[in-house]
Amino acid sequence: MKVSKGDIFERVFIREEVHLQIEQEAGSKVKIHVINAPFSITVNQLGEGCQTEIYGLENLHGEENVTAETHVTHSVGGGTSNQLIKFVLADNARGRFIGDLKIAQDAQETEAHQTNRNLLLSETAEMRTQPQLEIYADDVKATHGASTGQLDESALFYMQQRGIDKQKARQLLVNAFMKDVINSISDERVREELLNTIDGVVE
Amino acid sequence: MKPLLEIKDLHASIGGKEILKGVNLVINEGEVHAIMGPNGAGKSTLSAVLTGNPAYEVTSGEVWLKGENLLEMAPEVRARAGVFLSFQYPVEIPGVSMTNFMRTAINEKRKYEGKEPLSAKEFLSLMREKKKLLELPDKLNNRSVNEGFSGGEKKKNEIFQMAMLEPCLAILDETDSGLDIDALRIVAEGVNRLKTPENASIVITHYQRLLDYIVPDFVHVLADGKIVKTGDKTLALELEEKGYEGF
Repeated sequence: MKVSKGDIFERVFIREEVHLQIEQEAGSKVKIHVINAPFSITVNQLGEGCQTEIYGLENLHGEENVTAETHVTHSVGGGTSNQLIKFVLADNARGRFIGDLKIAQDAQETEAHQTNRNLLLSETAEMRTQPQLEIYADDVKATHGASTGQLDESALFYMQQRGIDKQKARQLLVNAFMKDVINSISDERVREELLNTIDGVVE
Repeated sequence: MKPLLEIKDLHASIGGKEILKGVNLVINEGEVHAIMGPNGAGKSTLSAVLTGNPAYEVTSGEVWLKGENLLEMAPEVRARAGVFLSFQYPVEIPGVSMTNFMRTAINEKRKYEGKEPLSAKEFLSLMREKKKLLELPDKLNNRSVNEGFSGGEKKKNEIFQMAMLEPCLAILDETDSGLDIDALRIVAEGVNRLKTPENASIVITHYQRLLDYIVPDFVHVLADGKIVKTGDKTLALELEEKGYEGF
């Protein structure tokens, strides 16, 4: 699909598998959230001054196995891209993030960020992260970061010391981990609904 | 006087290394006990063991809280039963708001006591009331637990939580460390105003300074994992003068 000059394409996909190939024209904006579904999103910025935002949140349990894939190409300069992909993996869940970020030689003054954070809640859950950056332009600002960790034991104990049982404390920390992805949703109604869903687990 | 806490020949270790080597202590309702001692004597280990920190292993001994076996309780059950620790290093919990955290904690305790949970309105007015005690700004409600708080705010926040939860046994672990004199005064006044004939405190400190503000009934010296000397508040002054040499 094509996002025409100056247009905005903004969507939140919840539990809906996403396969998108997007070409952006100058000054267009793409903002996509995918919550709890596999996705593969390819974006090519073909015009100047494009904005691309991709957010993924995968909260996986049991034997679930989910791959999230992004391919972002800055063919032309002056654009920005921001990606935040988070996985929470419990039980025997498997997660995989493949993130290609390419900044072409002509794409000067590009700003591109890719972040992948993952939380493992069990010994048997597994996460594979494959970021790949290809930067051919020299005047760019690009960052990428990937980390996989466990819940903070000292925070868990702190909450238990205040009378909160361990299960509830874990849930509070997991919700806190997921919140920034949800908070970045523009549509207030959808955002509040999702925040209520995760907070509802705690009350 | 009724015994609130009885510690009998308590031994505890971390990573196989024995830190507490036979601690005996009885704390009655209404009493303030100071535990002083050199670094590494086991002061913080004692507070960790009493609150059930999983990093420490109790190898022998007994601890009774109001006649109940404290060591058999999960950490959260000890807290609901009224054991409160003011942490030496309060933990930052990004993304969990003070309000959500405190409301969950209060309602867990009320459930344990067989009481109905507080409504949002009741809870907020309780927060407002207790916050005044510590001169804490209202904006802390919406901030994440301890995140970006200054050292003084963190310690005030500990005592604020203590005021909210009204424990029967408060353990103040190095609450004076990192506090300037104004913050120290506010924190100490908060602690003093929470004192009742039914509750008790253990004040763990390296320095005598805090004890000018929170006056103890007993001062114990913990050295090499044991209480080696017990006295009244004058012992703290003596220690300040002579140091811990000889223990």
